[in-house]
Amino acid sequence: MLEFEEIYNTYWQKISRLCMGYINDYELAQDLAQETFIIVWQQLPKFRNESNIGTWIYKIATNNCLRQIEKQKKFSKTELPINLVEENQSNIENEVQLLYRFISELPEIDRIIISLELENIKQAEIAIIVGLSEANIRVKIHRIKEKLTQQFKENGLK
Amino acid sequence: MDSNNINFNELWSGQKIEQPDIKDLLLKIDKFKKYNRNKIIFTNVLLFSTSVFILLIWYYFQPQYATSKIGIIMMILAMTIIINSSSKSLNLFKIKFESVSNEEYLKHLLAIKEKQQFMYTTLMNLYFILLSTGISLYMYEYTSRMSTKMAVLTYVITWIWILLNWFYTRPKQIKKQLAKVNELIIKFESIQKQLN
Repeated sequence: MLEFEEIYNTYWQKISRLCMGYINDYELAQDLAQETFIIVWQQLPKFRNESNIGTWIYKIATNNCLRQIEKQKKFSKTELPINLVEENQSNIENEVQLLYRFISELPEIDRIIISLELENIKQAEIAIIVGLSEANIRVKIHRIKEKLTQQFKENGLK
Repeated sequence: MDSNNINFNELWSGQKIEQPDIKDLLLKIDKFKKYNRNKIIFTNVLLFSTSVFILLIWYYFQPQYATSKIGIIMMILAMTIIINSSSKSLNLFKIKFESVSNEEYLKHLLAIKEKQQFMYTTLMNLYFILLSTGISLYMYEYTSRMSTKMAVLTYVITWIWILLNWFYTRPKQIKKQLAKVNELIIKFESIQKQLN
């Protein structure tokens, strides 16, 4: 059996980025990531190597994100208007923030798909995680990237 | 990549989120385990002590009439249903299929919410009917020893209280609970549509 600590260290950044893309709130993303690892810890004894451990963890993480609305009654997104972003931030940090903001404004399933794609997960795996066909995923990714590119251009950042 | 000259992958990995020490996480897991265990213990203690209390009434007051005995049983039943259903819904919340695809997961979530919707209405009605009938039956033995006037008065007061519960508290409780569930059902359905 895989060591929990090893999984935790390998996947923490990946999972927390995924949550950040979903919700675009640092604290909430951290909470979501922690919840994911609590479930992973609980379920790990039941994990049989029938699927890739990564796929398995991403399924748990994305499902946990989907479930978030159940708990987030009071939650309101803290959105910084673009022109209020602090001056001393480098251009690249600015763009990172923008990317996460744009992603978190997409429909829920699109957020999950693009986050997994940007995490370099194979499209076949994304199809398994989300439960759509690979062709469908490919089309969606194409559209989402087009939309994001357009949004970046509208903000005159590139 | 088709995204002209924006390297989304690079931007994506530019986000760093502080990784808490694994000890903190394990501590949280431990707390979580304890919390769940305490909840189960608390529920059982509550159920057990309520039943003991009612049985003590039975023992000390020695009800003679069958109506009183049936009444007591109905009241215990009503309370058991409420306690049992709260621990059941606790189990429902603990989904045992976290590692299925998003599509399947949403189906499960919707099924659970619909079940909750049904369960809540049915159980609340059952609880109120059992409790009200139980109390009325139980009272009979003791009111029958009172003067007719007092007996009628006692029943009238009790029934005002019961009717108030039935027509005011019960629908309000159900409505409040269902509003929450309905909202979630709509939201989950809208996410499900994104998969079509």
